[in-house]
Formats: sequence, structure tokens, C-alpha cells
Amino acid sequence: MENNFIIAGFGGQGVLLAGEVLANAFMLDDKNVTWYPSYGAEMRGGTVNCEIVMNDIEDVSSVNKAETDYIIALNQASFDRFLKKIKKGGWMIANSTLVKELKPRADINYIFAPVSALADKLGNVKMANILSLGVLAKISKLVSVETLEKALDVVIPAHRKHLLPLNIKALKIGYDYDMQIVNI
Amino acid sequence: MTECLTKTGKKVLTKGNYAIANAAVLAGCECYFGYPITPQSEIGEFMSGKMQELKRAYVSAESELAAINMVIGACSTGAKAMTSSSSCAVALMQEALSYAATDELPIVLVSVMRGGPGLGNIYPSQGDYNQATIGGGNGDYKLIVLAPATVQECVDLTYKAFYLAHKYKNPTVLLADGLLGQMMEPVEFGEYPYPEVDNSGWALTGAKNRPARVIRSYAPSADERCEFLNKLYAKYKLIEDNETEWEEINTENADIILVSFGSPARNAKSAMKECRKLGLKVGLLRPITLFPFPSKRIAELANIAKKFISVEINMGQMIRDIKLAVNGKCPVELLNRPVGNPPSVDEIVERVKKESGVL
Amino acid sequence: MAALTQTFKMPESIKKGSKFSFCPGCDHGVAVRLIAEVLDELGLRENTILVASIGCSVTLYDFMEVDSIEAPHGRALAEATGVKRARPERTVFTYQGDGDFASIGMAESLHCALRGESVTAICINNTTYGMTGGQLGPTTLLGQITTTSPTGRNVDYYGYPIKIAEHIALCDGTAYSARVSLDTVPNIRKAKAAIKKAFEIQQQGLGFSFVEILSTCPTNWRKTPKESHQRVREEMMPVYKPGVYKDITAAATEVK
Repeated sequence: MENNFIIAGFGGQGVLLAGEVLANAFMLDDKNVTWYPSYGAEMRGGTVNCEIVMNDIEDVSSVNKAETDYIIALNQASFDRFLKKIKKGGWMIANSTLVKELKPRADINYIFAPVSALADKLGNVKMANILSLGVLAKISKLVSVETLEKALDVVIPAHRKHLLPLNIKALKIGYDYDMQIVNI
Repeated sequence: MTECLTKTGKKVLTKGNYAIANAAVLAGCECYFGYPITPQSEIGEFMSGKMQELKRAYVSAESELAAINMVIGACSTGAKAMTSSSSCAVALMQEALSYAATDELPIVLVSVMRGGPGLGNIYPSQGDYNQATIGGGNGDYKLIVLAPATVQECVDLTYKAFYLAHKYKNPTVLLADGLLGQMMEPVEFGEYPYPEVDNSGWALTGAKNRPARVIRSYAPSADERCEFLNKLYAKYKLIEDNETEWEEINTENADIILVSFGSPARNAKSAMKECRKLGLKVGLLRPITLFPFPSKRIAELANIAKKFISVEINMGQMIRDIKLAVNGKCPVELLNRPVGNPPSVDEIVERVKKESGVL
Repeated sequence: MAALTQTFKMPESIKKGSKFSFCPGCDHGVAVRLIAEVLDELGLRENTILVASIGCSVTLYDFMEVDSIEAPHGRALAEATGVKRARPERTVFTYQGDGDFASIGMAESLHCALRGESVTAICINNTTYGMTGGQLGPTTLLGQITTTSPTGRNVDYYGYPIKIAEHIALCDGTAYSARVSLDTVPNIRKAKAAIKKAFEIQQQGLGFSFVEILSTCPTNWRKTPKESHQRVREEMMPVYKPGVYKDITAAATEVK
């Protein structure tokens, strides 16, 4: 089985870090995983995004995939840009604090979760990225919160370790968020 | 991420550039000299902290010219030394590479390719296949060129680069691309797996209790230079015989063989498997050493296969070596992207279908 | 009867049986001999690595019994940096011409001095590119006729020559910078003292040490050896004044 994920947003939203946490979690689960920042057509000041390819059959994953299973869009530009890239039956996880709750495509699943607002309530709006990983864990069932916690511990450097508990909290808030999952 | 990755059997998720840098440290690299250029600056950044911590040599050189010549100086004493750079800056080093090849010095150059020509851009590219394998320096010389396709191979081939450079006293290039440099994958560093090469027979150590040694390329006598070049090329032949390395899957009964190195080889591999599912007889040959190139094997396969397709991120550079090996026995086609991400799996599958007459 | 003692001999640092290939009257031979004597006297020969350069200076490795490597044009001090960083316990020196040091290699030279690399650089300044047949170089004097300044160096076309020792003295990493000449016996003795001082400073690990040697090129100057030394005195020295421009070991450096 192979699954791929794109996490996108604007600079400063911790897009690459969230991707690194997810990739580490897959590694800790003994999956093959590849993380790379996207070299799209964007100019400076546009969206930042990275792709994570997880699989447990191939030793080497292909890159530059035409379609994506899961998109986490932390801002409107990312939602607009990556909507068309989602596989039929795939998932769009959108930050509804910054993204309009519209469903232009009828052949994919949508989750609108106000991750920025929830992170703000938690005390640090920068936790929106980690919160969205909690959402992803819940709906994809491809990774557990426990593994993501371990991955956070790996990724967060020693001098920032004091932020670990808050990150774990964010993860759980995301996971427990009462989302209305409307399957197509 | 600039903190040290310790010697460990455990897997760590690592960026290609850090993997290369850390592997170099574990390989016993004593000296790093470099000048920043995207997309490989992480190598120098990592080295600046790590080498000082280990009390090894690190210099932020004033230019790539200086950096590669510092490597020459260090290697002349038998030390393990390296620099890293990218495309337009590796262009600046060509003179020194010619000197180092002629001086038979074990320098290691990590070249993380970006888009060219000229200043180009920082997108992934394989536009420097020719730069590495043919070279822009003067005269007859060869560099050993190793091409990783995964982050684990960035580690394994960095180890190998130091070993081969010293074993054959020959400049060795690790040729990666911007995508691999920025990519993270789980890797195991393990221990440097090669024996240490004894340099005491030629290294400059001071002329104590022996005649002075001179490492030089200046050759006023034509006869002596002829003799030397013949000897040098005998060494290259030996390297071809001993060190040619490639990965080969499903080629035995293949009608179409995809040939690809570096990051596009990943997509070529997936595409080959897709094609097999569709009942198409497709195989993959992935050169791991670009010099020496697996020409002999390609020549053998050219007797069976009906067609080769070279998959590259450039305007078609490796295809020339494939054609030379195939020597007219069957057609060799090009599937390229001029610069940027590798051709997608779908694109490759479609092309194979077309070439095999399914479409 | 008193035993005979040898008071004059070839330095051990000179390769046995070697014959200098420099043109008659060229000062390179004197400079090489001085360096060899200094290495002998300081007992450094067996510990020394020479980085040779491109130009007439390249053949130095044919004449000296020290381990040597040859650098591409201008890159000698980059290579010397590599050698020294890899093997800090070795004595490392370069032997370069003015074109190698101050034109094509200016970046390498200045940055080596700025880093304060503990190496010694000897630069032969003969105001021309000698090996290629006497073209205009970075130190060619105003008015000087060369094969590429047929009517003499003028500022409009060629700009100004560089005063190397002064520039190197300005670098904070420089411990010693001096200019000497080889035109008379007293000056040859001073030159040897400066070279010795430069190597001593390297032994003490105090920083970059540099000696610029005003030298002759009778062949390209179209002069006899005697006339050539006269030119050094009358035309070069007024512009390139001999003296010690920096010596961090001296209490107060007197610049003459």
C-alpha cells in the first residue's frame, strides 16, 4: 500500500516541520517513507509545501506524483492550488479559520477544521500545523497519536523540548476535534 | 538539524545533504573546504560546526576556486579531504579537477546539481552529467562518478567515494541532484565499511630519510607525458573492470529497457513495475557509477532488447553513453524533462506504451 | 697543521646535481639559494612542504630537496592553506611570481593573509610575466614598455601597479610583511634575514608571513645583468621601497 500526503500553507505555518513529524512517525512504524519540499511553480512569498510518500511495499518510492491521497491545506491559496490534485475519493483537510467552507469537487472528502482558531485557544497559533496532524491521524487511520507523539520528540530539538507538552496537547485536540465527517 | 548525527545502527530521518555530510565525517574526512551555493549549503553548514567540534579542519573558502585547491593541498599530504558545490560553481572547479586527476590525488567532490546553464535556477537537474563524466578541464582525464538515487545511497556512496578516491588515487565525484539533497528518508549510517588505504608511499610528509617527493602536472617532455597518460588510462581501465556498478531489474526478457540514474530512476522503477502489470516487457537499468559507465552490460542487453529509453532531467546527456554502448544495435530514445522534477511515473508509462505500439 | 674546513658549500636543501634553468643574470637563482640556506639553518628541510606556482617559479621543485606540490596559476596559497590545515605541524611555504600572487591569485593571497594562515609566502616581483615572454603584469611600472604595453604603461589603458608588501601588511592576519631586493651583497644579506624571519614567525605560529623580493628579468627587460640591477635600484626601488611593513614581533616597526 502506498499513500501520499501534501501539507501546504504559507511560510511560518510550520508546514515543513509538520511534514517532518509525519515522516518520522511513519519511519517509527517501520514504513518506507520519503519527504521532500515541493518544487512547484510558486514564487517566493507563495505557498510552502512538502510531500510525504509512505509505503510498505516498495523499497524506493517514486516522486513528483500526479495525484495525492491527502492534502492538508492551512490557507486558502493552498486549498485552491491543490484541490485538483486530490485523488478521486481522497481527502482535503482544510484549515477553516482561513479557508472558505466550499466544496467545489464532489468526488473527494472534505474536513473543515478551524485548526488556527483551536491553536490560538490553546495559546499558540503556531500549533495549527500539529493540530492538523491530529485530524489527519483520526481520519486516515494510517498513523496513531502515540506514534506522532514519539515523532514530535524526535523532531523537536533539545533546546525547544519545553514545547513538547504543548505540541502533544495540540495533537490530541486535533484528534479529538468533533468533525463532521461527510463521506462521499 | 546541524547537531551531530551520532554513529548509530538505528534509522534516522535525514535530509540528503546532511546524510552526505555526516557520512563524510564518519568516513574520516579530515578537512572540509567550501563556499556556499544552493541547493547544497546544508553540507557546509553541518561541516562548519561538526569539524570544529571534532578538531578537524574547516575553512570557509573565499571562492570555489580556492576551496577545491585547498582540497588538493590537503589531499597531497594523504589526508581525506572534500568540498561540496553545485553546477555553476563546480564549473569554476574544472581547472583544479584536471590538475587533481593528473596529480592523482584522492579528492572528493560532492556535486549537487541544479538547473543550468549559466546561473540557471535551484530546481533539480541532471544537466551536469557531462560536466562530471566528460569534464570541462583541459586534457585527458577521468573522474570516478557515483550517482545516488536515495538518501541511504547518499550515505553509502559517500563512504564509497572516499574509499575509491584513495584506492585509485583519483578524484571522485558524488553526483546528486537538488531533489535528493533536500529529500528526507530514513537512513542507517552504521560504520565506515571500507579498509583504510595506505598513503605512505606517495603522500607529502616532509622529505625525511627519503628523497623529496614532487606532485606535479608540468611535463616538459612529450615522451614522458605519453608514458604517463598511457599509465593513467591503464588505471582507468582497471577502474572500469573492478568498479562498474549498476542496478538491473527485469531486463532478461525485456523488449524495452529504461535507463535512468539519480532521482528520475525512482520514477523509472515504479513505471517499469506499472508496465509489467500491464503485460509490457519492460526492464530497468540504473547506472550507479557514471564513470565507469555500465557500457559492457548495456552492449550485452542490446542483443536482446528492442529499444532503450533514457530517462533524464536534462536535454539528453547520458543517452550519448547509452548509444555508444548500444552501438546501433537497436534504437535509443530519450524521455527527458529539461529541468525540475523528474518525469512522472504516468508520463514514463505512457511513453513506454507508445514505444511498444500499444497506443 | 690545521685541518681544512669547508666554509662554503651547497645547501642540503638544494637538490644534488641540479642545474638551475633560469636565464643568465636572473635573480631567481639567488632567491632559491637563500631559501635553501634558511631551511638548512633552521633545520626545517625534512619537515617542509613547498607549494610551487605557475610561471618561472614553477621549476623550484626541480631544484629543492623538499616535498613539493604544484598549484594551478594563482592558487598556491589556497593549496598551502589545505596543506597546513591538514598537517599543521609541517612548515609550508609558497614561491610565486608577482602575476601569480597579485594578479590571478590576489583573492587567494589576501584571504590567506586575512585568515592568518601560518604559512610563508615568497613573491618574486620582476614587474613582468617572464615565462610567457615579458607581458604587462600587476607590478609593471608606469611607463614601462612590455610586449603588451608597447608604448609604456599608461594609466588610461592599464591603471596602476600594485604595491604588494604594503597591501599584505594591511591584513590583520599578517604577522610579517617585508620587501627586499637582491641587487647588492648587503641587500642579499638583508633579504636572507627577512626570509629567515618569515620562517621563524611561521615556526612560532604567529600568522601569515610574507616576503616580496624585487628581482630582475634580464631577458625580457633586454638588459645585461648589471644593467638589470641598476634598474632595480633606479626605477623599482623608488616605487617599491624596500623595508619591513609589518612585524608583530618588533616593539615598534620602523618603516624606511
